[in-house]
Amino acid sequence: MSSHRLPQGGLIDRSKPLAFTFDGKPMQGFQGDSLASALLANGRRLVGRSFKYHRPRGILTAGAAEPNALVTIGSGGRTEPNTRATMQELYAGLAARSQNRWPSLHFDIGALNGLLSPFLGAGFYYKTFMWPAAFWEKVYEPFIRKAAGLGRATHQADPDRYEKRWAHCDLLVIGAGPTGLAAALSAARAGARVIVADEQAMAGGALLSETATIAGRTAPAFARDCAAELEALPNVTLLTRTTVFGWYDGNVFGAVERVQKHLAEPAPSVPVERLWRIVAKGAILASGAEERPLVFGGNDIPGVMMAGAMRSYLNRHAVAPGRATAIFTTNDSGYALARDLEAKGLDITAIIDPRESGGADYAGKARLIRNAVVTDAHGGRSLSAIDIRTGGRTERLAVDALALSGGFSPVIHLACHRGGRPVWSGEKAAFLSPASLDGLAPAGAASGIAGLAACLADGAHKGASLAAALGFAASPIPFGPVEGDAPAAPAKVLWSIPGVRGKAFVDFQNDVHHRDLDLAVKEGYGHVELAKRYTTSGMATDQGKLSNINAIGLLAEARGVSPGEVGTTTFRPFYTPVSFGALAGAYHGEHFQPVRRSPLHGWAERHGAVFVETGLWYRSAWFPRTGEKDWRESVDREVLNVRNNAGLCDVSMLGKIEICGPDAAELLNRAYCNAFLKLPVGKARYGLMLREDGMVYDDGTTSRIEENRFFMTTTTAYAAGVMNHMEFCAQALWPELDVRLASVTDQWAQMAIAGPKSRKILQAIVDEDLGNDAFPYLAAREVSLFGGRLHGRLFRISFSGELAYELAVPAAYGDRVAEALTEAGQADGLVPYGVEALSVLRIEKGHVTHNEINGTVTPGDLGFGKMVSASKPDFIGKAMLQREGLNAPDRPRLVGVVPLDPGQSFRSGAHILAKGAAPTLENDQGYVTSSAFSPHIGSTIGLALVRHGDERHGEDVTVWNGLRGEFTAARLCAPVFFDPANEKLHA
Amino acid sequence: MPDLRPFPALAARKPLASSRIRLSALPEGTILQMIAGPQTPGPVDGLERLAAKTGLALRAISPGQWLLVGDRPTPYPQACRLLAALEPHASGIDQSHGRVRLHLEGPMAATVLSKGTAVDLHPSAFAPGHTAATLVGHVSVHLTRLDAEAFEITVLRGFAEALWDDLALMCAEFL
Repeated sequence: MSSHRLPQGGLIDRSKPLAFTFDGKPMQGFQGDSLASALLANGRRLVGRSFKYHRPRGILTAGAAEPNALVTIGSGGRTEPNTRATMQELYAGLAARSQNRWPSLHFDIGALNGLLSPFLGAGFYYKTFMWPAAFWEKVYEPFIRKAAGLGRATHQADPDRYEKRWAHCDLLVIGAGPTGLAAALSAARAGARVIVADEQAMAGGALLSETATIAGRTAPAFARDCAAELEALPNVTLLTRTTVFGWYDGNVFGAVERVQKHLAEPAPSVPVERLWRIVAKGAILASGAEERPLVFGGNDIPGVMMAGAMRSYLNRHAVAPGRATAIFTTNDSGYALARDLEAKGLDITAIIDPRESGGADYAGKARLIRNAVVTDAHGGRSLSAIDIRTGGRTERLAVDALALSGGFSPVIHLACHRGGRPVWSGEKAAFLSPASLDGLAPAGAASGIAGLAACLADGAHKGASLAAALGFAASPIPFGPVEGDAPAAPAKVLWSIPGVRGKAFVDFQNDVHHRDLDLAVKEGYGHVELAKRYTTSGMATDQGKLSNINAIGLLAEARGVSPGEVGTTTFRPFYTPVSFGALAGAYHGEHFQPVRRSPLHGWAERHGAVFVETGLWYRSAWFPRTGEKDWRESVDREVLNVRNNAGLCDVSMLGKIEICGPDAAELLNRAYCNAFLKLPVGKARYGLMLREDGMVYDDGTTSRIEENRFFMTTTTAYAAGVMNHMEFCAQALWPELDVRLASVTDQWAQMAIAGPKSRKILQAIVDEDLGNDAFPYLAAREVSLFGGRLHGRLFRISFSGELAYELAVPAAYGDRVAEALTEAGQADGLVPYGVEALSVLRIEKGHVTHNEINGTVTPGDLGFGKMVSASKPDFIGKAMLQREGLNAPDRPRLVGVVPLDPGQSFRSGAHILAKGAAPTLENDQGYVTSSAFSPHIGSTIGLALVRHGDERHGEDVTVWNGLRGEFTAARLCAPVFFDPANEKLHA
Repeated sequence: MPDLRPFPALAARKPLASSRIRLSALPEGTILQMIAGPQTPGPVDGLERLAAKTGLALRAISPGQWLLVGDRPTPYPQACRLLAALEPHASGIDQSHGRVRLHLEGPMAATVLSKGTAVDLHPSAFAPGHTAATLVGHVSVHLTRLDAEAFEITVLRGFAEALWDDLALMCAEFL
């Protein structure tokens, strides 16, 4: 392998050599090389093995569509399989490894698949691995996955940083080739906010590989000057290394910027990739055109390359394709390559042009063979000869490089991402973007225009007119005369080539060849969507960028229709693969979702709380003490302490809504099913909220702080939902009501002080008299604390069934107040308790939560039937609550349940069977909604929703846990296990 | 008597600062939410006078809703008067503890915010004095442009630390 690097020329920096390795072998390239150009410069042609037949593959393109040169780079968590060598910038120390080969790239056992290829055609797996069905998952699929495939992903965590951001502009220009640069400058000079995105490391696109001159400047110099002007303009953002991958509703474009993918060691504070969401008033699609391969035998042998790619490596990277090069072209672009090769002193063995009068202007030395095609290429790991067929004659020529050009397809992917279908143009022999695109204008080669001068003019015109439409005084910039322009005339359409003997590949990446497509048509899968799935053509990671057009052409020929009639498969984002890292952005690990912290979090932490995630909140679950062996021991102690002394619990997470205005009471009266109109100032009331369908939605207490100011609490889980619901009621259902709603959940630190000694403890910090007469059950008032140093709101309400209060203080004071209360209560045995104890206390008292309010229960089911107002003219849920099914006598109703043997237990979710009934779904009578060990009762207790439950107190039943195969003899009872007469509440 | 000094939500977070970006917590002073009734379209009588008189800054956060914000706490009796000052046209709700204000400043401030919000922060679209209700990452905020390179971010107290940590990550490349 000798160097293919030309002694001069190219956009590489020869003063900056870069050492890299390929499969461990040390090599050298220069700053400005891609991995592909560096490999070619080192004489390396074989770079990978194909997906199915493990055929030797080389570098076919110089861009994003590369199907063959896929390698793995990086190591550890930075391992990146399936990296296109054509898109990877070279950096010092880059270590690339070939894929899908074993034991080595040169000698690969999988290549035996090639010998089996007569049996491995399209549909082979469908036909062969039909049965036995059980074999599919265990044998066939693992085998196929092992044999076929690409690189392997790492299981290690990605150490790098990713992020997302938004951007807004008047004009987004996609692609910074001649069209894009002309469009961007024409709009930007007039003052429009312009974003230009290009997937390459430097702006210029095709200009970087071009030898034509523009107003006397070389094309790369012209590109450099344009980019410099754009970068200097404050209203322009020029994004290089950025692929616009999708077009979405609202004219939002997705783009991924490879910020540090060209560096060996990325800076840790900077993301390696950045996902952009760009909101554009208008956009220009200047994505250029993709050159089409030609479908002849052995067209995948290393050394066969797209003509444009060969020209790019030659002019941009100063890499010679070989010693004896042939060009097979159906259009005039092949002659620009011939001109450039000869200008650099390289030999062209022949130009093969199937047109009758192709290359009329060609003035070079090469042998020009018209009316001819290449039928087969020969060579194993490197091209050695081609067969040329002219008329009936076949001639073999020894060549080591072959350039292909089968015409050009405008790159219109983005234009089709919002449902538009491409339109076939017979004149251009190409699919063009859908006719009407609101917000996106294809320009230059992407709209089917050929030639540098025409692209510059089209870009300048469209950039200026889009800017003008947005009110900017823009006019197209004239860039001066173009010398040496070589527009590719419309190509002669050449889908199938007669006389081919070898495998003629259509989809290189998925190893789909011409005969597979013929077979698909023969077997009835000729529809483009069926053929795709039957043959896997276009289903690889390149999504058929090179192959789809040829597949469509061949299907059209086989079916005897036009390509337009065959149509395309659906274009969807992403244009090229996007890493999961970029899609996740910064939102992983501890940034996955925000944490919501209670103002009493610090207090709970200091008292040793064990926290539990509840939605986004962290709630204190229990407060273990030294010597306690498990959570149950802590929870039992906390429960008994509340019953005997007093406890303090953080309830700040409850939703809190302040409702003001002259119609606040009326709104509540309509939103709750029970009455609120006449709730006196200074009083709290339990409220039950229904959905329109009559089912219970949420519950909580609402207090009247002033005549026109209420304070509503909701459950933690439904805080946001109830707020939305109330806003909907106020804004949409009854806009005539004068109410003002605000969420005040975060304004207040709220703590429950429960237990027989709670009054005494609270009185130590509350200035007002808390005696039973002065502050009775359900009192709710603003209070003064610590001798007037602080004000809060005190509610005499109880979830535990004990004498209890909830004290709300402004959040920043919560921590100090909780600490002061803990200290004040020490002598009376006050200890903190968590949500586990809270839950036991409420089950003992028979209070419901969303365990019971499960979306299928009516007030009557929960024993709240009498709460539902019969006199109110209307409330949400009133009408639907009258439905027959909601009043059926056999509805599941709330009931208590205890094991007959206190030593036995059952779990929430277990089902209720009549005593002696067989454990079947038919015999299912309901289920345990909540259960806990009750230290007060001395056994497990439960709440359950059971058919006729309220009429069956005292009946023996079986609690059946079908998952664990447990049966517990139990008895149904009243759903109140503690203080049924409510004496404690009023004490 | 017990220690009753308020406990700032971001007490555990140190300000971040470089020549390009500065992130800090604003003092937990006064935040009053003023909400007009549905029968009061347009500006509320006396709202701007009230702001001028009290020295509080006015932030228009949604149709018929404003925040009056300032760095100093308002004593309880005075706060009660302010909340009722615009009745019956508008009701006041004390959010001085319910919201926390962050201050983001520097030449890269808009760039940092664009990593979290979909709002167009170009001065022509979002001039000083403008407020938007938006998300910064996953957290709801009210975002106000104070001047060309300075923003106030008002967030629910419970999310203040999570928002700070997300913003710190967004700032990292400029620190």
